Amino acid sequence: MLGGTRMDINILKEVFPVLLEGSLMTMELTIISVVLGSLIGMATALLKLSKNKLMASVAGFYTWLFRGTPMLLQLFVFYYGLPKVGIEFTPFQAALIGLSLNSGAYMAEIIRGGILSVDKGQFEACKSLGFTYLDTMKRVVLPQTFKIIIPSVGNEFITMLKDTSLVSAIAMEEVMRAAQLVSASTFRPMEVFFITACLYLLMTTIFTTVFSHYEKKLSVY
Amino acid sequence: MYMIETKNLTKRFGTLTVFEGLNVTVKKGEVLVIIGPSGSGKSTFLRCLNHLEVPNMGEVFIEGEKLDVKNKRHMRNTIEKVGMVFQNFNLFHHMTVLQNVIEAPITVKHEAREEVLKRAKVIIEKVGLKEKVDDYPSKLSGGQKQRVAIARALAMRPDIMLFDEPTSSLDPELVGEVLGVMKDLAKEGMTMVVVTHEMGFAQEVADRVIFMDGGTIVEEGTPKEFFNDPKEQRTKEFLNKIL
Repeated sequence: MLGGTRMDINILKEVFPVLLEGSLMTMELTIISVVLGSLIGMATALLKLSKNKLMASVAGFYTWLFRGTPMLLQLFVFYYGLPKVGIEFTPFQAALIGLSLNSGAYMAEIIRGGILSVDKGQFEACKSLGFTYLDTMKRVVLPQTFKIIIPSVGNEFITMLKDTSLVSAIAMEEVMRAAQLVSASTFRPMEVFFITACLYLLMTTIFTTVFSHYEKKLSVY
Repeated sequence: MYMIETKNLTKRFGTLTVFEGLNVTVKKGEVLVIIGPSGSGKSTFLRCLNHLEVPNMGEVFIEGEKLDVKNKRHMRNTIEKVGMVFQNFNLFHHMTVLQNVIEAPITVKHEAREEVLKRAKVIIEKVGLKEKVDDYPSKLSGGQKQRVAIARALAMRPDIMLFDEPTSSLDPELVGEVLGVMKDLAKEGMTMVVVTHEMGFAQEVADRVIFMDGGTIVEEGTPKEFFNDPKEQRTKEFLNKIL
């Protein structure tokens, strides 16, 4: 018994495929935006740590802007704001750009922190062996940074997965938007949101499992 | 031509002068041991020789080539000839023993992997770690780590080796195995500069000993002169304290 009415199995059968499809879009948005965010974050972190003052402050401005304003606002600017100055995006494009840039700002700080926590002796060893800065980063520092930041990146993934629900506000059909639409058309909010919650839990569990597996694999050294 | 030559080398940290106007030369095949109390500037001096610390004044020449901060490529090429061993090993944690040893020749010198592998195995055997090639540094003892660090430096086929207190962070019973490898190197004619507190090593292996205190070279001589007949009062006091 839920909310005084019986849970209807037929309703579940009807709404489940729609919600599942929404979940796949949620997964897709999460993975693409965190991957793009990682690349943006890596570049931003390296710029922030570089001796080039101009590039460092450009990178600093970016993280300041995207961490300092709500993601919902950023999405609105990309989807509703930019068309007014002639730049139009589909909901999917606007969602990806917004999510990636937002994720990039957080990843930049995670990666920067990771690089800073690599032992100074590693840099000295590289320098004494004649490594270039790029090789030092690529071969020694970033691989070690990777191990340090894995838990934080896992966290960022899960936060991102849930934050993708915000793109429902710019007409992007992912699982949250699907849930809202289906619950309105079936008048069965309890069932619909219950399934949606289960789907979110399933997705976060998948990511958590993948990351803890990865963490274990890297703990050999 | 000297293997290493410093001219009027000066290093300051802020207002603190670590050392001033040091002129030191090292000949081919020579083993120079630098001793002195902590804070005497000996480690900083050593670190200036491959520009891990950039001196404020004066010049460093490696085999006649001046280290010039403005010419990064030339500096890297020159530093390749100088191997360095650190007090804290600074092995690459994410690589096995073998990977640590082959990394620099492949990445820095772009040598063929097969060549480097062959050479690495010989070097690893020479430092007595044949059974450990596939272990990560975290599985090794301090003495083993330091021997890997020496092997890693040797894989670059350096002309000069710098040792910055290589046994200071080792348990006493592990010091011997590292000094043993260093002695072998000296016998083979490697040019070495060693900062150490191991007086036995200095007496036995050094061609020349420099005693540094307060950022200056107080006394310099063969181990025989230095340990048996020190001329300076400060040297006598130091030796009395530690011997």
